[in-house]
Amino acid sequence: MILNNYIYLLFRIIINNLLMQKIILFVAIVATSISFSQQQDEQLNIAQSQLLNLADLQSGLTIGGYGEINYNDFDSGPSELDVKRLILLFAYKFDDRVSFITEIEYEHVKEVYIEQAWINYALTDNTNIRAGLLLVPMGIINEYHESTTFNGVERPTLDNKIVPTTWREIGMGIAGRIPELSMRYQAYVMNGPLSYNGSYMLKGSNGLRDGRQKGAESQGSDANFAARLDYFGLLGLRLGASYYTGKTQTSDKSIMGSQIGVNMLGFDARYLKNNFSARAQFINAFLSNTEKYNLAGDKDLGSKMGGYYLEAAYNMLPIGAIHRLDLFVRYENLNQHKEVEGQLKKNLALHRKEWTFGVSYHLSRGSVFKIDYQSKSTALETSKAKGQFNMGIGIFF
Amino acid sequence: MINSSLIFSQIHRRADIEIKKVFSIENYQLDRVINQNFEDFLSKRLLLIKTNNEKIGYAYLGTAPSQTKYFDYIVLFDKDLVIQSIKILVYREDYGGEIGSKRWLNQFIGKTFFDKFIYRKNVAAISGATISVNSMTDAVNDILSYLKSLKNKGVI
Repeated sequence: MILNNYIYLLFRIIINNLLMQKIILFVAIVATSISFSQQQDEQLNIAQSQLLNLADLQSGLTIGGYGEINYNDFDSGPSELDVKRLILLFAYKFDDRVSFITEIEYEHVKEVYIEQAWINYALTDNTNIRAGLLLVPMGIINEYHESTTFNGVERPTLDNKIVPTTWREIGMGIAGRIPELSMRYQAYVMNGPLSYNGSYMLKGSNGLRDGRQKGAESQGSDANFAARLDYFGLLGLRLGASYYTGKTQTSDKSIMGSQIGVNMLGFDARYLKNNFSARAQFINAFLSNTEKYNLAGDKDLGSKMGGYYLEAAYNMLPIGAIHRLDLFVRYENLNQHKEVEGQLKKNLALHRKEWTFGVSYHLSRGSVFKIDYQSKSTALETSKAKGQFNMGIGIFF
Repeated sequence: MINSSLIFSQIHRRADIEIKKVFSIENYQLDRVINQNFEDFLSKRLLLIKTNNEKIGYAYLGTAPSQTKYFDYIVLFDKDLVIQSIKILVYREDYGGEIGSKRWLNQFIGKTFFDKFIYRKNVAAISGATISVNSMTDAVNDILSYLKSLKNKGVI
């Protein structure tokens, strides 16, 4: 997978091999004067100490990437064909404990972002301190957003409208594992979404999405906290719980109603066994102070938004085959106006119900061809379901 | 021979602890497998575990790729080549580290070279750790087929 590492490894093996022959020759000459059995001991000690010392074998740069190119054909109007995102990943290992990871993202061909950029310091094998531009650990997709890792051409709507993927801000914290308990944990202090910057930025139909600062000259007025626990002790099953708490950021704290409080809680599950796989995710976000915010900014932000999705898939090809053909179905139900404060009336159009049926055809472990059909409706009585046909390719290496 | 008092690196130390724990022994010697040639030993680090000059098992020390780095592991076999333990000695990145889970690694215990591991069939998947899960599974399959070839040649 990582070519330069292989070349480096090969190179080291050759050097070690040459070196070893010399050492062994040397040791053999020295040792013959002592005793035969000791000679053997010496040889093996040196050989083993070299060979067992694997830790310094690898270092340096790793290059990877992922991307997706999508075609969306709507019921009405023109279709959209988009190089949605193309990302280059660079990981540099300074030594066994310190590494730097960054992802440089091109969105829609022309917009450049940094998606992640952080230093990882391994305090112990299972405990890392990290700092920089970090992903918010909320739900499944925000952390595992490579197109080959999920079904459907488009990410679940829940992971767009409620969890504003790809959600990242500058921060620092701790991430680690407890192998005995089959658990992984993360906890970060991070910057939060921006709600006021001379104008009011958040609205009901986009939730926190328009407030994402992505580490670009981002403004910080209040530190936020994000944490997640993963449990994978039941074979084939992975459970996750995510929590996010804090306040949105404002450029002027003296302006009444320019900030809202955010508490978001998520639960998710992923299951894989034989040809079957399934996922479920539940997210609820509690927003406080929205009445003042909506009045001051003439906005329609709900005070509670959230929802869930359930997905099941079945691989039609034999297990162990290189190709994988997952037929899947997903149902999503999410509402950005679960609750509203003050004079604001619930907008039923923000209660979305969506079905997605489709195929993910994995040509290899890192490439996929996807086709699906989506039927999107809302709780509005007058609304008719809108259809959407999607095709796309995804890569991850 | 490596005397257990000569253990110096982190990997040595952890391998040492695991060997002592799995075989319930205080002292042991490690030796190259006789007739395994040096090139083989470089790429396939198979060691014979002896106590009081009596063969009690084998240790295989390996390295396999994770998403952006490499991890080190040890597989311990009894003298009949049945897997007694697998342990990740050093894992160098956060993603994929789930394979260090004891519950997951226990799937390989009790297996021999008559077994073949297939991802998602008799090796459980871990969502979010696919690369490392496949890497470890491939590694175990490779080790078992290597042992099988040594056994067929009468080397072990």
